[in-house]
Amino acid sequence: MEKLNRSLPPHFKTIEHVDIPKSKQEVLSNQIPVHIIAGGSQDVLKIEMIFNAGLWYQKSPLISGTCNSMLNEGSEKYSAAELAEKFDFYGAYITYNNSQHDASVCLYTLNKYLNETLDLLEQIIKYPTFPEKEFKTILSNKKQDFLVNREKTNALAKEKFNALIYGATHPYANVFEAKVFDEVKLDDIKEFYKNFYTSDNCRIIVSGKMDETVLPKIESRFGASAWQTKTSGIEPEHKLISSNEKKSFVLKKDAVQSSIRIGRPLFNKTHPDFAGIMLLNLVLGGYFGSRLMQNIREDKGYTYGINSVLLSHLESGHFAIITEVGTDVCEAAISEIYKEIDRLKEELVPEDELNLVKNFFAGEMLRSFDSPFALSESLRGNLLFGFDNSYYERFLQDIKATTSQKIMELANTYFQKEDLYEVIVGENKA
Amino acid sequence: MIEFDKFTLDNGLKVIVHRDTSTPLAAVNILYNIGAKDENPEQTGFAHLFEHLMFGGSINIPNYDEPLQQVGGDNNAWTSNDVTNYYLTVPKENLETGFWLESDRMLSLAFTEKSLDVQKAVVIEEFKQHYFNQPYGDVWLHLRPLAYKKHPYQWSTIGKCIEHIADAQLQDVKDFFFHHYAPNNAVLVVSGHVETEEVKRLAEKWFGPIERREITPRNLPTEPKQTEFRSLHLEREVPYDAIYMAFHMCSRNHEDFYKVDLLSDILSNGQSSRIFQTLIKEKNLFSSIDAYLTGDFEPGLFVISGKLTQGVNMMDAEKAIWDVLDEVSATKANEYELQKVKNKIESSLVFSEISFLNKAMNIAQHEITGQAEDINLEVEKYNKVSTADLQEMAQKILIKENCSTLYYHAKKQ
Repeated sequence: MEKLNRSLPPHFKTIEHVDIPKSKQEVLSNQIPVHIIAGGSQDVLKIEMIFNAGLWYQKSPLISGTCNSMLNEGSEKYSAAELAEKFDFYGAYITYNNSQHDASVCLYTLNKYLNETLDLLEQIIKYPTFPEKEFKTILSNKKQDFLVNREKTNALAKEKFNALIYGATHPYANVFEAKVFDEVKLDDIKEFYKNFYTSDNCRIIVSGKMDETVLPKIESRFGASAWQTKTSGIEPEHKLISSNEKKSFVLKKDAVQSSIRIGRPLFNKTHPDFAGIMLLNLVLGGYFGSRLMQNIREDKGYTYGINSVLLSHLESGHFAIITEVGTDVCEAAISEIYKEIDRLKEELVPEDELNLVKNFFAGEMLRSFDSPFALSESLRGNLLFGFDNSYYERFLQDIKATTSQKIMELANTYFQKEDLYEVIVGENKA
Repeated sequence: MIEFDKFTLDNGLKVIVHRDTSTPLAAVNILYNIGAKDENPEQTGFAHLFEHLMFGGSINIPNYDEPLQQVGGDNNAWTSNDVTNYYLTVPKENLETGFWLESDRMLSLAFTEKSLDVQKAVVIEEFKQHYFNQPYGDVWLHLRPLAYKKHPYQWSTIGKCIEHIADAQLQDVKDFFFHHYAPNNAVLVVSGHVETEEVKRLAEKWFGPIERREITPRNLPTEPKQTEFRSLHLEREVPYDAIYMAFHMCSRNHEDFYKVDLLSDILSNGQSSRIFQTLIKEKNLFSSIDAYLTGDFEPGLFVISGKLTQGVNMMDAEKAIWDVLDEVSATKANEYELQKVKNKIESSLVFSEISFLNKAMNIAQHEITGQAEDINLEVEKYNKVSTADLQEMAQKILIKENCSTLYYHAKKQ
C-alpha cells in the first residue's frame, strides 16, 4: 500500500453552482398567494401564514407582537386551554414570529393529521377572541422576560446600538421602557388584528411532503372567501434618524465582561454593492476563520466569540461587529478591531484568503438550503423584497465575481472611522 | 426507521454509515467516550478545555479550520458530562477532506504552549460569559453539588471554578489525549449523501493506520441514595425570584427512562401540560416554568425550574409545585393524557429525522450507550409505558427526601 501523506490535503471540488429547488406559486380563490416548496424525506408539513402585520404597522410598542402571540389564546370554538390541548394531541407545533415588517403563524404538522390541525389553524387565524385574562397573563410574563433580558450586557448593547443608528422609536430599533407593558390596551390589540390579519394582507408558504390533497385542504379553510378586509391608509409613517452621537457607554454594574458593538447603518440586499459587502463582512468577522475571530479570540484570547453581521431591512440595513470581552481587555480588543478594519482599507485581501471565503460561502449556501423548511425560511425573507429564492443564484455569481480590489474600495467607501458607531456596555469605559 | 450499515476497523473504531440522498452534503460525526465525569476532581473543566485544543492544529495539519472552510465545510463540537462530540459537514464531493482532518487529530495533536495559553483564556471568557455575566447564569454551579455528593456529575462541564482552567498544564493535556482519545474509544458516524463502500475505503485509509491505545478504565464513584431533603438559598442581583428542584432518577439507557420521560412530558411538555396550565395560566404563580430530564448516561436528574411572578412568595410557589407533583403520585393520569404525550414524542422523533446531521449525532449516542440499532426501538419503548408506570415513577422519584431545592432570591433593591 502506498504510504499515506497526511500533510497533503485530499483533492477537492469547488462548488460552482448551488441548485436551489424552485418554489411553485398557486393562488387561492380569494387571491391569497400560496408558495409551495415540495420535498423532504419525512411525512411532515410546515404551513406558514404571513401577514404584513409587523412592528412597522403598530402605532405604539408591543401591539403587533402581543397581537401575534395572542392568536392562540382562545377562538370562537375553543378556549386557550382547549387549543393547546388539541395541538399537543396531534403532535403539532405552532410558532409565532413577529418581525419588523411581517408577522406570521407557523404550523408544523404530521401529514396524517393535516385536516385536524388545519381546522385549529383556521380557528386561531380567523376567529381569535383575545380574552382579557390571557391578555394580562401574557403581558405580565412578557414584562418579566423583558426585565430579565435587560440584565444582559449584550441585550443592552444591541438596544443602544439600534437606537443610535435608526432612532429609538423606529421599528428597526423598537426601543421602549418597561412601563409600556402596563399601558397596552386590549382594544388596540383587537383593532390591530382586525386591520392587518386579513385575507387581502396574507400570503402562505407551504413546505414539506406535498401531494395533491394538501392545497384543497388549505383552500377550503382559507381560500373560499375573503375573511376580513384590510383597512387602508392607517399605516404609521416612520423616519430613520441616525444619531450624531457616535460613541456611547452604558454602565452595567458588576459586569465581568463588556459588550461591544461597532458598526453603522447601511443599505439592504437590493443594493449593487451588497455582494461585495457580504464578502468583506465574511473576511472581517463572518465566519470562524475570519480575521476578527482569528486575531481577537484565537491569537489574543480576549473573548469566547466575536463576529460581524449584515442585516437587511426592507428600507435600510446595518453592519455590526459584536463581541463580549473581559473587562480588563476591552480597550485592547477595540483597538484590535479598528486595526483589522484599517487593514481592509489599506491592503488587498490575498487571493488565497478570498478564494477560501468564497468556497466557504458556497458551502454555507448548500447548508442553508438543505431542507424544504430551510428554503421556506429564506423565501419568507425574500418575498418581503418582492423576489424568490432564485435571488441567491445570482447572488452567488456576484460573490464569485467580487475582486480583492473591489473589497478594498468598499472598505474605504463604507468603513471610514467617522461613520462608525461604537457602543460599550459594562463596568467601566474602555 | 433509520437504516444504516455498521462495521468495526481492526483498531477498534466503530463506523456507522447512514445514507440520506435528499441532501447534497455529508456529515462526519465523531463521538469520543470521554466527558467531564472522567475528570480529576482537582482538575475539572479539562474535557471541555481539551475540546477547544482539538482545534489548535494536529500533528500533520497546522490549522484545522482553514482547509475545511476551503472545501466549503463547517464544523463544531460540544462536551457534556458523559461524552465529547465533534462534527463537520461538507459538500458530498469533499467528504475525504473530513476524513483527513478528523483522522489526523485522532492520531495526535500538535500540543503547543501557545494553543494551550490562548484556549485557557478563551474558555475563561466563556466561563464568564455564560455563568457570571448572565442573570441566573450560575444556577448549575450550585445545583449540581447540592444534588451530587460523591458522583462527578457534581461539577459542570465548564468546571468547578476558573482556577482549575487557569492551572492546566501541557503535560496534563498530553496525558489526557493518549488515555482517552483513541480509535477504540470512539464512534464514527458518516451520514448524508454517501455510499457505504466509499466510506469503508476512506475509513480504512485514514483511520485504519491509527493504533489502539490503552484507555484509562472508568471507575466512577456511586452516588449514595439521597435520604433527606436538601436546600440552598442564594441571593443575587436578578429581577425575580426563581426556584430549582432536582430529583435523582435513572440513567438514559435504563428501561425506566421512558416512563420518567413521559411523566415529565405530562407535567411540562407543551402549553397543555399540567404545570403550564396550572401554575402559569390558572394561578399566575410563575412567568415561566419547565420540567425536564438531564438524560445523562449515569443516573441523572429530573429538574423543575421556574421563575416566580413578581410579588409571589417563594413558599407559596414551592407549595404549588408540590401540589402538582403530589397529584401525579396520588392519582393515575388518564389514558387520553398519556396518548397525547406519546403522540408528541412520536412527532418530535419524526421532525428530528429531517436533519442528516442530527441523525448522525443520535446514532452515535445510541451506539455509545448501547447499540445504534436501538434508535429504531424508541417509539416502541415509549408506547409500552402505561399510566400505572407514570404513577409508580412519580411515587418513587418526585418525593421530598429525593429532592434538592435551590431557592434563588432576588436581592431587595
